[in-house]
Amino acid sequence: MSTGVIAPAVYTFGPSNAHLTVRTGRTGPAARAGHNLLIEPRNWQATFEVSAAEGRSSIALTVDTGSLHVLEGTGGMQALGDEDKDSIVQTINDEILKRTVVEFRSTRVELGPDGLAAEGELELMGQRHPLAFTLSLDGAGRLTGRTTFRQSDWGLKPFSTLFGTLKVADEVEIAVDADLGKERHD
Amino acid sequence: MIELDHQFTTGKPTDYNWDAILDLERLIPCVEGGRVIERIGDGSAKAEIKVKMGAMSMKFKGTVEVAERDDSTHRAVLRVKSREEGGQGYANADVTFALGDGGGTIHTAAQISGKAASMGEGVVVSVLGALIQDFTEKLAAI
Repeated sequence: MSTGVIAPAVYTFGPSNAHLTVRTGRTGPAARAGHNLLIEPRNWQATFEVSAAEGRSSIALTVDTGSLHVLEGTGGMQALGDEDKDSIVQTINDEILKRTVVEFRSTRVELGPDGLAAEGELELMGQRHPLAFTLSLDGAGRLTGRTTFRQSDWGLKPFSTLFGTLKVADEVEIAVDADLGKERHD
Repeated sequence: MIELDHQFTTGKPTDYNWDAILDLERLIPCVEGGRVIERIGDGSAKAEIKVKMGAMSMKFKGTVEVAERDDSTHRAVLRVKSREEGGQGYANADVTFALGDGGGTIHTAAQISGKAASMGEGVVVSVLGALIQDFTEKLAAI
């Protein structure tokens, strides 16, 4: 199998050279009162190993959920202030993800001229389940993509408040934006 | 004006329920986030309620008074007048209790303004309905 335009190498990404973000929505009768959140971890690492040998390329991602930071909240009854954002992170740390580590390990990575398709397992709160995603590669060597998963598939009960009338949506989106830079082969 | 009807069950005799709902220091904490700040006199109290919405919260402060009571039919109207702390909104309500053996009914007639009302009547009805439902469940243990 061809490695497409991605040069065989080990690429390492983290907050200094890539963006990893999480988007959450809201649901329930009082959804309008809540916020859609854009969250990013400040401590994470991804290793993308591109091999010339067929079936040997791999992706590994480790995220420290204790490093989450709320970038923005849209919608809602009133704008989120810095204290509100800190309070959301506190709730995530204390009640939801409890500062655990989230890991993804690929079981299959298929490379192509326009990017890659990956399959693997995501470990979240002690549960491991399959997750698949595709990443697109543009002419400038930027690797971007997004995927979604349902919290409940990993045994998590989506956070709810206001007597259950306002809930975080079960589906969560993860997006990545990384630059392969000069190591890209044209 | 928003009007809502609920039922509650305590499994206790009418006289017990009657004394309980007229005792504001026992009743007000049955509202999630509610607390008595100060008794003003018999049948009246300064109180506040803090409604949590995840990271954010709204606080209303005001008075709760027993505006009407009929000891023979065990019917009472509690009048709530409150203002949003740090905002322009208010939340007022007449809450009518009609008691019987083992429980009773609650009729709520509420007027709400400000940020909470700006979310639309559907949101206010959902949240207020859920708050009162939670209140009725706590009344079971009063």
